[in-house]
Amino acid sequence: MEQSSTSALLQGTVLDLASDVVSALRSGDHVRAGGTLAGVSAGGGVARAAVRVLGADLLLPATLLGCEPVPDQLTVFQDAVAAHPPRDDAAPTVVWSHWAMIRALRRLGRPPTGPLADDAGAEPDARWLDDAGWQYLTHQLAVLAPLALPGEECAVMRAARRRPVDVARGFVRAVRRRDWQQAAGAGRWLTLLDGVPATLGLEAGLDFVRLMGGSDPRVALQLEAARLMPAGVPL
Amino acid sequence: MSARRVEEAALDWVCAHRDRFALGEDALAADGQVNRTWKPLGELAQVCASVSVGTPPSDPLHARVTELLDFAWQQTHKGEMFLLMQSLEPFATYPLEVYAAFASAGYRHHGYEASAAVVARTRGWRLTEQYPTRRLGVMEAERRSGLRPHGKVPQALVRTWLGGLPEPWTFERAAGYALTHVVFHLTEWGRTPQGVPPDLADYLRHWLPPWLDTCFEARMWDLSCELLAVAASLPSPPEPAVLEDAWQRVAAAQHACGAIPEEGSAQHAAPPGQDDPYAFTDCYHSTLMAVFAAALTTARQSEVERAGQGVPG
Amino acid sequence: MPSEDKVLEEVRTENIDIEAVLDPVEPDGVFRDSRECAALALQAGTTKLLLSPPTPRPKKG
Repeated sequence: MEQSSTSALLQGTVLDLASDVVSALRSGDHVRAGGTLAGVSAGGGVARAAVRVLGADLLLPATLLGCEPVPDQLTVFQDAVAAHPPRDDAAPTVVWSHWAMIRALRRLGRPPTGPLADDAGAEPDARWLDDAGWQYLTHQLAVLAPLALPGEECAVMRAARRRPVDVARGFVRAVRRRDWQQAAGAGRWLTLLDGVPATLGLEAGLDFVRLMGGSDPRVALQLEAARLMPAGVPL
Repeated sequence: MSARRVEEAALDWVCAHRDRFALGEDALAADGQVNRTWKPLGELAQVCASVSVGTPPSDPLHARVTELLDFAWQQTHKGEMFLLMQSLEPFATYPLEVYAAFASAGYRHHGYEASAAVVARTRGWRLTEQYPTRRLGVMEAERRSGLRPHGKVPQALVRTWLGGLPEPWTFERAAGYALTHVVFHLTEWGRTPQGVPPDLADYLRHWLPPWLDTCFEARMWDLSCELLAVAASLPSPPEPAVLEDAWQRVAAAQHACGAIPEEGSAQHAAPPGQDDPYAFTDCYHSTLMAVFAAALTTARQSEVERAGQGVPG
Repeated sequence: MPSEDKVLEEVRTENIDIEAVLDPVEPDGVFRDSRECAALALQAGTTKLLLSPPTPRPKKG
């Protein structure tokens, strides 16, 4: 009971944070991006965990639109990075999402301090994607959608760039399975890739995903990111 | 690859249930169900015709499908039944479509062809309202039966789902069945992969993998087998890993008796522990399609191997 | 002294396996095909052919 009510609370907070980001991306209003965190005591465990789960995308309005991040929000973000480093045996998505958060801080000129400062720049490897089937590749990329940014250079981005047709196949599969979150994440990657078959109909596809799954703020967040991507200034 | 093993087992089931394809008295009855009489027989004929063309005479499977074809032709009284159907339902297209399967394997009835030609000359026949995919099929049946096709393939093709190159994520079951048949008609049921225009071939090469994957996940075995037949009918087949995975999934769905159920729901409903658990109507079509797809797959594969060894194909 | 809320929250956070949330498995696929209703104003009753033109699937023969 405790576990399930806690994870429900965590998921709820993640959704609230995602809604904040969506509003900010839609309006360019950075104040609203801090809405959920403004009412939370600094260092609040669940809020901090939720920030870690949403990851680098919390700072997307700042990264993509150049808005100034809200100070409270930045503090919780930094706390989340420090409080939830990947375990030694962590899955690649855990390691990479953490790296993406540090990357986001660096971009904003706020590199982490303390124990993380030293090895924070070391980029993990993406060998786990080398032999990945197109289904698994797309699933992993969708989980790591915060890395899909214009001008991003990292091993995961290079793995995606090598396989535009496979990611497009993954998008088709995700829509067929009505996995809107994966579809939206894959769609965000596809807006950045060359060599996607034109017959995919990505633009209509993203509209379709919005229609079917856009009520979930995590889906909406990916779609907003995808919408801003082509116009986005390379980082 | 497991395709060959799937084919042999599926053909075992077909041979063991051969008499279920026989035309009963209701084949001519006004209230008979053509989908339970003419359709299965036509499908048996079509699959066996394709397999016999693609399988070398030295292969034991060749003799088995030839026997089945002879049996099926006997059911039509060597084509006399088509003439009879013509007199009962002159404007029905299905007798011609079934006949075309036989004609493609060299089983012909010239009297029927002559009388079908009379009907096919009417404006009414040409204007029969039907799905674009079906129209393509009827034109193809006319051609194979020695009649003059009532329209041109490119014009009929653009009216189909596949011909319009739709967004691949709009694929659903009905679109799937429509597109597999378009490819069957364009390629004479897998015989001429070059009949697929290059843009369609690219399109299918790109999108067959996610369609196959999701049809398997939804346990739509019948449509999965049809898509595999399409995969084996393209000028350049999909990546080996895609086919390898797909045939393993077909093999896993195949019952020990060789039958492959049309859908996962039939598997749920089947009583456990039985030698022959599926109703004929729940499995005959998918089992035939598995034979068809496997035969095309293995034929394409040996073509590739021969080419690799420098032996003229 | 930490507030009761804060203690509760600490307990809660420890119970969360964040790494599992960050490495989610795929949900099961959901499949349902669109159906087709017979065109309106078609005659019902005995003329079944009108109501289901021509058959639910293209001919496979």
